Amino acid sequence: MNTENGDRNAGRGSPPVGAANGDSTREAPASLEVLDPGYGLPGYWERFHAGVMERTAFERARRRGLARQSVAAVLSGWSRSLIPVAAAAAAVAAFLVGREVSHSADASPPLVLEEVLATEIEDGALQTVAVGQIPANPVAFMALVEGNVP
Amino acid sequence: MKDRSDAELVIQARAGDGDSFGELVRRYQRPAYSVALSVIGRHQDAEDAAQESFMVALERLDECRNPAKFAGWLLAIVRNRSRNLIRRESLRRGDEIPASASSSGPSPERAADISALRGRLREALNTLSEVQREIVLLHDLEGWKHAEIAERLGMPSGTVRSHLHFARKALRVQLSEWKDYGKGV
Repeated sequence: MNTENGDRNAGRGSPPVGAANGDSTREAPASLEVLDPGYGLPGYWERFHAGVMERTAFERARRRGLARQSVAAVLSGWSRSLIPVAAAAAAVAAFLVGREVSHSADASPPLVLEEVLATEIEDGALQTVAVGQIPANPVAFMALVEGNVP
Repeated sequence: MKDRSDAELVIQARAGDGDSFGELVRRYQRPAYSVALSVIGRHQDAEDAAQESFMVALERLDECRNPAKFAGWLLAIVRNRSRNLIRRESLRRGDEIPASASSSGPSPERAADISALRGRLREALNTLSEVQREIVLLHDLEGWKHAEIAERLGMPSGTVRSHLHFARKALRVQLSEWKDYGKGV
């Protein structure tokens, strides 16, 4: 058999031989259909196909198994990481909620705005302001608030 | 199924879809056989090489870097495998297609005619270079276009045309004196 007569690019630069339809040459095609093993043998290519599928059955089964395993691995990977994170998040949330509850039980009643404003102001000064006897002089007013009334 | 591209079929076959691989086999079994025949020259060995190449292709499917170019990748496997067969000199002798083995096959006389013509054609093909055989079989037997052959064999379209032209010319010369050629069988 002649297998050494040329490489794949042999003939580069030879005269182009295309025809009008762009897919034929000046030389008429040889009648090679008889070389088709299916020539005169109906069903040959179906049997060929079946033969390939039979010979590749193991590898196809292996690939199916790998694909199934990889789906399971993804799911189990999710569960492996998700469950501890969810458990930790739940523990942290439980701790925070518990602390909040205990804090709210121990805390003194909240101050209202008026009480905050009146804190550390002398009672006498408050009574004086309440009846409208506010000194016009700022120095006298501060002396009244601070309880330095003579 | 026919509308799916080679790339889609390859990706699905990688994931274990047997139907997708089956479709790839259906698409390329004939070109694979033709390439094997162009290298080996014997039917039975070409058939074995083509079938084994599909096995190897499936085993190495993850190595097909560009699934859109599956055909070229597969045919390279067929070619290498066929050459290895020759190199190991493990070719078997009886290579005739068992034309009369099938009950639905041709009559014994017709089978003999087919066998004789096949033998003559193989002799003629053996006068060509391997690449010329491959191109003339892919074009004239499998019906691939110049552009398809060029893309899948990785060579310029002009080179394909040139090889085809000279291959046909050589075949014509080889077969011109054979009485039955061209009369049909």
